[in-house]
Amino acid sequence: MDPITLAVVRGALEQIADEMDLHLIRAAISPIISETNDCAHGIYRADTGETIAQGRFGLPVFLANMQFTVQNLIEHVRGSGGFRPGDVWILNDPYLSGTHLQDVVLVAPHFVDGELFALLASTGHWMDIGGAVPGGWAPSAQEIHTEGIIIPPVKLYDEGKLNTGLVSMFTRNVRLPTQIEGDLFAMANVFSVGRRGLDSLIARHGRDTLSACISEMIERSEKQMRSYIAEIPDGVYHCEDFLDNDGIDDKPIRIALSLTVEGSSMHFDFSGSDPAACGPVNLARTTTQSTCFIALKHIFADVPVNGGAFRPTQFTIPEGCVVSAAYPSPVSGYLEPIGRVFDVVFGALAQAIPQRTPAPAFGTVGVVTVGGRQPDTGSYFVAVFPYPGGYGAHARGDGLVNGTPPVSMANFMSIEMSEHRYPLQFVEYALREDSGGAGRYRGGCGTQYRFMTRSECVVSALGDRVDHVPFGIAGGKEAAPSVVQFGIGGREMTPPMRSKVEKQRMHAGDWLAAASPGGGGFGDPLERDLEGVERDLNLGYISRRTAEEVYGVVVSEQRRKSGALRYSVDSGASARKRARMRGDQGKTAATG
Amino acid sequence: MALVGIDVGGTFTDLYYSRDGASADRICKVPSTPQDPSSGLLDSLITAEIPLDDLDLILHGTTIATNALIERQGARCALVTTKGFRDILELGRRDRPSFYGLTGLQDPLVPRDRRYEVDERVNHKGEVLVALDEDEVRLLGEALKEDDVESVVVSLLHSYVNPAHEERIAAILRDMEPNWAIVTSASVIREYYEFERTSTAVVQAYLQPLMTRYADNLLSRLGDWGFSRQTLIMQSNGGLVPVPQLPEKAAHVVRSGPAAGVTAAARIAAEAGFSRAITGDMGGTSFDVAVVIDGEPEITPATNLDFRIPLKQSMINVHTIGAGGGSIAWIDRGGILQVGPRSAKARPGPVCFGHGGTEPTVTDANVVLSRINADDPIGLTNLTRLDVEGAREAMKRLGAQIGLGVEETAEAILAVVNQNMAGRTRLLSIERGYDPRDFALVIFGGAGPLHGAAIIREVGIRTMLVPPSPGVLCAMGCVVADLRHDLSRTVARRTESFTADEVDAILAKQAGEGSDKLREESISIRDIGVRHFAEMAYVGQIHTLRVPIERGWDAARLSRAFEETYRNEYGNTLGEIASTVVSFRTVVEGLREHKKRDMPAPERRPLVEPDIVRPVYFGGWRNSPIFRRFRLEPGMVIEGPAIVEQADTTTVIEPGMTGRIDAYGNILVEIA
Repeated sequence: MDPITLAVVRGALEQIADEMDLHLIRAAISPIISETNDCAHGIYRADTGETIAQGRFGLPVFLANMQFTVQNLIEHVRGSGGFRPGDVWILNDPYLSGTHLQDVVLVAPHFVDGELFALLASTGHWMDIGGAVPGGWAPSAQEIHTEGIIIPPVKLYDEGKLNTGLVSMFTRNVRLPTQIEGDLFAMANVFSVGRRGLDSLIARHGRDTLSACISEMIERSEKQMRSYIAEIPDGVYHCEDFLDNDGIDDKPIRIALSLTVEGSSMHFDFSGSDPAACGPVNLARTTTQSTCFIALKHIFADVPVNGGAFRPTQFTIPEGCVVSAAYPSPVSGYLEPIGRVFDVVFGALAQAIPQRTPAPAFGTVGVVTVGGRQPDTGSYFVAVFPYPGGYGAHARGDGLVNGTPPVSMANFMSIEMSEHRYPLQFVEYALREDSGGAGRYRGGCGTQYRFMTRSECVVSALGDRVDHVPFGIAGGKEAAPSVVQFGIGGREMTPPMRSKVEKQRMHAGDWLAAASPGGGGFGDPLERDLEGVERDLNLGYISRRTAEEVYGVVVSEQRRKSGALRYSVDSGASARKRARMRGDQGKTAATG
Repeated sequence: MALVGIDVGGTFTDLYYSRDGASADRICKVPSTPQDPSSGLLDSLITAEIPLDDLDLILHGTTIATNALIERQGARCALVTTKGFRDILELGRRDRPSFYGLTGLQDPLVPRDRRYEVDERVNHKGEVLVALDEDEVRLLGEALKEDDVESVVVSLLHSYVNPAHEERIAAILRDMEPNWAIVTSASVIREYYEFERTSTAVVQAYLQPLMTRYADNLLSRLGDWGFSRQTLIMQSNGGLVPVPQLPEKAAHVVRSGPAAGVTAAARIAAEAGFSRAITGDMGGTSFDVAVVIDGEPEITPATNLDFRIPLKQSMINVHTIGAGGGSIAWIDRGGILQVGPRSAKARPGPVCFGHGGTEPTVTDANVVLSRINADDPIGLTNLTRLDVEGAREAMKRLGAQIGLGVEETAEAILAVVNQNMAGRTRLLSIERGYDPRDFALVIFGGAGPLHGAAIIREVGIRTMLVPPSPGVLCAMGCVVADLRHDLSRTVARRTESFTADEVDAILAKQAGEGSDKLREESISIRDIGVRHFAEMAYVGQIHTLRVPIERGWDAARLSRAFEETYRNEYGNTLGEIASTVVSFRTVVEGLREHKKRDMPAPERRPLVEPDIVRPVYFGGWRNSPIFRRFRLEPGMVIEGPAIVEQADTTTVIEPGMTGRIDAYGNILVEIA
């Protein structure tokens, strides 16, 4: 293979996928696509469904999910006559296409000289998909039908002819028909961008060269991925973690991973995970697989996103468990189990390659939704505030603060903007002191915020990580648990399911306070450098008590004219205290 | 009226001197002096022997603000916020530094122990919910004294509607310590989004003491040299301000240099008859691209200076990728050739510089292929000859890993870096819904004209324009720019709630403020240009569209203008959904006297003989004519392959392309 052509063709294919992303981001009507990039595009091999290229502007959550969706569709289409020129298939069935019902996938074949050459796919988040709750997030759902309409794999265009009946089915069953129709056709139009790009590449290099380049590219990516895996010591690494509850039954839900690394291959085995949950915290199999890749990609950011990178991995996921949702398990709260799958992958890899693996992040999306009527106009509003939280510490430094979930890139709304839009008044938006896991490197602090309602409304929350907190690695400590509290009629109240509550009624002057976990710590806190502890104290990232009891330092304080306290750490006394604490730990370990 | 434009960059200080304000009489490049940038500036004036007697104006672009931020060399600064919100500056709005990877560094310009809160609260309508506790403010002043700060930012919630509390706090603190530079957020931008406004005010306060010292220093040095007339500074929005205003405009000059380059490129493209242009500036480490429509560089309302340091100021929208002459070529784990974003920088630099670099760079590839003349390197005062053999050795080592010979490896490096730049250029136009083929590419910077031909070939652009002095274009941009003030004010209300009178009153006030500022500056201007815009969105949308509006318009006319703009941008409208006006903006420009040139297309004239013919590699060694730029005159046409050399750059005309010299001395390279 001519290395220049290979490098150029790879760049050109990635460019086509990027252009498909940008085309939809520009043309979509829903802000969720145009403003938070909740979409993804790719080019896939017609025979194996492997990814040839995926756009760089779509959300991480769709990283590998698209390939598995295309592969499931190929299987389905094989049994119903195969792809024909001009066909466009559509589906949102989470048991085939992952994530949740709002993510609708379109797939179109691309033919060259009458022969099937590649498949193009477009995923976009629809703002409504029918179902019990506007927007599709249904915290009390106990089956998928509550969450919206299911679109099985079906042809939107049959050899170029639009199935208008299908379009009316959609528009009659969703709450925002004009918007959804606009997004549907914007997605279908993206395929012309992909086809034009592929045709011009074929005109330039010839079909055979292009096919040869694609095969070679995928093999090279596999080689690249294998070279990373080969650096991970062989072994079997176990990690399990729990969801607090599913919002219906108050009992923890286990997610267990046994990760085997052998040479340049990896095997993810989720046997031992709990059966599907009653509530909407189940994860479709394809999304579980995809989440494992997202975790790897966050550690090895250079890994190319094509099918070759997925080849050295194998999965065992028992049927019907919480991470292989089957009909009719509800999935609309899927972002919570994603967080836990993500963290067990990190937890397992941390045992193998602690130098490269950060401790888990805050691990809960904790969406708080406020709904009601505007006091002045009477019009309906829905405000959504997802948790920000701390990122985990790592071998080279402390964790970041106020991060967005690893599978997302969405932001927190501006306080001033929120107060313009909704009858809410924020009282606080602050770093949460003492919430990051202690360690040689400290986890990033979580975030705490509090708002007061200015008129009657209902508030729902879907969070987690109250009973089971983000853990530390390599001897690092765990982060603080998440907290959701209400002040209703002057009384403080914690919801029975802690961070999960549906439609809590609130009146003017009532408040909600949320505090998210920080990230886990890395390494023994007794090894944190003393300047770091002193700085954290003076910046208020940690309390004096934590400094003394967890970091083992001796602190003196000095009150300044303004009343503020300044701390200094006594290095000699601290070293002696730390030696004593290490000794005690050793004894405890010996007797325990 | 003679003018001097001077661009102080990180490595070089460039000078452009024009007696008539239209064509170059002298250009020069001297090394920058980062310790005291005004010293390098003086060096350039002395080296170029600029006559003082008829010099009217010095126009100046600078990277001093950018460097101070990157190196965290700004003022020791404190922040005062509404109770409950001192962490806004550090928290931002929930994000991370990159798509993939969960680690990174954050270094807030004001650390948490210098961020203070006061008990007060104003709501979004400007009503006071909690009165300001002035005793608490005085106590706070004592703490700030203990902190030994140079500047103080006061940023309170909703101060853009009602700045009274911010102003009162500033007054109390000013009384307590007159030496503090005190910046209130509403005085910097009158817009909502507390994090972005606070960050912008902090950038201002962080830079203000430094810029005050710089302005004093510069004026006194120029005075010693004998110059006492006006000196203007280029702002990030492409407009100029007088040096005495530099301290209060500190946050406005962060992208001074790139803005000057785009401004010059836009002017040159318009003069040469191209209404749409993409400007490309390729230097040692990066490739900066911007879009120009109808002679106007595209403006962005905000940018990120670093992780979680947004700056909300109107500025020319310049996109950067890590592709430059110093970009390093490497083989990835899959065995595929990659170029950049890592750069050899100035030290050790490319292998051919002979300063100890061992990894092959883009410049080395150009040297190996003989596109760059190894015997006459540009911009390097201390080198007489480039180390071709060293560069070839480095190519050989890299090529061996992927089975390519020396020249093939060099050509592969160019193919990859050109594709990276072409890809970004395409995306830039596609993101905005334009067809890249409708644009001309104005290429400049020391390395740009070596690569422009390949970029237009890849993107499908018809014409590449190489201006007469591509290596000092930023200095020239200062000379051709106008004075400019951007004013904005958040209103955040439904469009239907505005009457024509209210809109007129807001716009008239902004226009008045801007014009007053221009008059205070007492720079000679030909005319004042005023343009009005409304930032509008459909109710519920986060991103706004900038809609050109006029005084006298009522709600219905505003709505219609919004829908037209929306349709142009997105191809459709959202029907009956109501719109909101987020803010009103006014741009006031002091248009300087510019000598306008309108020259007819030149008659074709015979090409001069080449200075030399040397083999240059284009898929094989081909004898190629080499021309020195100053010998080329309007009307001449060069057939590629050919190389044009000049003191500040080298232009490659590929086989199958022609280069035509237009009336203004630009080279227009087209695919034959």
